[in-house]
Amino acid sequence: MSSSLTLAPAPPSEAAEVVRAQVREFLAAELAAGSFTTHVDTWLSGVDPAFSRKLGERGWLGMTWPREYGGHERSAMERYAVTEELLAAGAPVAAHWIADRQSGPNLLRYGTEAQRREILPRIAAGECFFVIGMSEPDSGSDLASIRTRAARNADGDWMVTGAKVWTSNAHASHYGIVLVRTTPADPADRHAGLSQLLVDLSLPGITVNPIRILDGGHHFNEVVFDDVVVPGDMLLGEEGAGWHQVTAELAFERSGPERFLSTYPLLAEFGRRACDSGDSAQLATLGRLSARLLALRQLSLRIAAALDRGELPDIPAALVKDVGTTFEADVIDEVRRVVDVVPSLDSPDPLGRALAEAQLHAPGYTLRGGTNEILRGIVARGLGLR
Amino acid sequence: MTSEQDLVVATVRDVLAGFEPFALTAERPWDAGLWAALADAGLTGVGLPEEAGGSGGELADAVAVVRTLAAGAAAVPVAEQLLVAGPALLAADLDLPDPARPCSVAVDGVVHAEPVDDGDGPGRWRLTGTATDVAWAGVASSVAVLAAAPAGIEGAVLALVDATGLASSDARNLAGEPRGSLVLAGAPASGALLTPARVAGLRARYALARAVQLAAALEQVLAWTVQYAGERQQFGRPLGRFQAVQMELAEMAGEVSAVTALTDAAVQTLARGEDVVLAAAAAKVRAGSAVEVVARLAHQVHGAIGFTQEHRLHHLTRRCWSWRDEAGSELTWARVLGVGLLAGGGDDLWPALTRVV
Repeated sequence: MSSSLTLAPAPPSEAAEVVRAQVREFLAAELAAGSFTTHVDTWLSGVDPAFSRKLGERGWLGMTWPREYGGHERSAMERYAVTEELLAAGAPVAAHWIADRQSGPNLLRYGTEAQRREILPRIAAGECFFVIGMSEPDSGSDLASIRTRAARNADGDWMVTGAKVWTSNAHASHYGIVLVRTTPADPADRHAGLSQLLVDLSLPGITVNPIRILDGGHHFNEVVFDDVVVPGDMLLGEEGAGWHQVTAELAFERSGPERFLSTYPLLAEFGRRACDSGDSAQLATLGRLSARLLALRQLSLRIAAALDRGELPDIPAALVKDVGTTFEADVIDEVRRVVDVVPSLDSPDPLGRALAEAQLHAPGYTLRGGTNEILRGIVARGLGLR
Repeated sequence: MTSEQDLVVATVRDVLAGFEPFALTAERPWDAGLWAALADAGLTGVGLPEEAGGSGGELADAVAVVRTLAAGAAAVPVAEQLLVAGPALLAADLDLPDPARPCSVAVDGVVHAEPVDDGDGPGRWRLTGTATDVAWAGVASSVAVLAAAPAGIEGAVLALVDATGLASSDARNLAGEPRGSLVLAGAPASGALLTPARVAGLRARYALARAVQLAAALEQVLAWTVQYAGERQQFGRPLGRFQAVQMELAEMAGEVSAVTALTDAAVQTLARGEDVVLAAAAAKVRAGSAVEVVARLAHQVHGAIGFTQEHRLHHLTRRCWSWRDEAGSELTWARVLGVGLLAGGGDDLWPALTRVV
């Protein structure tokens, strides 16, 4: 197969297994103490700043970053083990998820020394949360068409006007990395003239309007910028290099285990049911779904290992996200076909509740972070077709 | 892959270049010429120790041979010999047959083993019954047969049966590969008793061998399809320029990558000497389920020409459609995996999943 799609197998990591056991022990204790309850898709919906701080205290945020910025200089394989355990337990990780996954690494790559020193230690402590400022009301998959503008004023500050949308947890976050147009669109080079700004969400002129998703949950927002004055030193990276920077950020965004474990708590509940029933069709379905999940783990581990080698595997990451998010949604119907269960958020049956949560979040799996159509386009490019 | 395996692959490709895949028939059920060339090059003993008559090398080398031949639709029992029968016989302290003479494996049917003292020393058995779905029945010179142990004894007997002159039925799989039955009427054989765990391990090895073949074949099918989509022009441009076709090829690539990643990991589990039953089950199920998507879309993109015996595509798609349910059907292995993952109880699923590979 085309080499841009294929990564070397991940070598086994003993350090990852050590930290995995620690996280597992921590989660068991937290569950026993009732500090959280398991839910589906908690990296979107499980906002719990106190829980995030606990992870920070244990050194499980900013794991791969340099110590001088509050990080722990551990491998991507170790970070993979930690994130995977948290997701499998359905733990409330949404508050810090974006900051730890992509905003921090983005700041490390492109931030000024002052930006890094100011913000990274707070992210690693689980005290500073970020939102993604990419999509807009008229710009979804076609990200280069964004219209939020930023222009320097006489003081050298940025005047930002426009709106971002689907902004997860903006009402509970401190900063956003906002993609803005800093020079007018050039039809000959649509990717030029974009920049990233580091925006304090408490600045005057920013309005956060809730958008409710199918289950009534408030995770999404519209964030409106009305002549917001963003200090001049809050440019992230290079002016005009926004497209390039966003592409790198998306490689982090697309490669992790949250792209196939969002509905794992449903699968876990189904496993309990199959164990109790001993039903042959249920056991076979569990086997089939598990085989898919195990393959996805290997693909995702290969990406973690590639990150440890200093690579930025954007094409394999797109492929994993396509295959993984398809799996997340398939779990719902595979389970439905072999269990007599009616989905309801009010069900006394935990399987019925998990099924309801997974179903009402399902349309999002294959949209967020780049639709699967866009991802397949990237894979097709990797195959040399475009 | 290390440079060692690159060399193995290059050697196999050199040999393979002299032989074209052909539609197998009852008259010509395998590629005897290719086998002879592979045997001459020592490739039918790769991964089997020299002191046992093999060519030496590691499991990874044997896997490289099997992968390359599977991708080339080679009609020879190399997967059975190098990955299943050979290692199983060695693990049971049995003598290997000459690697130049094809040896296969039989794990299905009803065959009973009774110990005999036929003057050929200890470890002699008499096998009676019918071994079914025997890969390369009628072609293999010898077959490692898994037979029921005498009543009251746990486990099963693995015995090496001389298959020359044995009656075999003419059943073949969807690609025409021989999969007949062997009738054993008191056949004498050297054998050894295997514990139930070793029996499970042998079956898992066989399933993993098919998964390895599937992974290689699916990768090749994808490569052929991408190539065809780049060359075939319709509406004034290559098929691969159409977004609808790109989506199909990307879906195929996703499936193939998943299969390869899991199969590689299962092979590494085997190489580390760990229990491979659940890893093999997972690899076999994942590879098998990818066939549905990859073969269907490959034929869709190739259009009518791919539906003919004139085109090469069928050499691999027909094999894939069979291999996914051989050495234990997809359903069988899915159940093995499901049951195995729940062995520690319903709350232990996640820890069990993280232990498989």
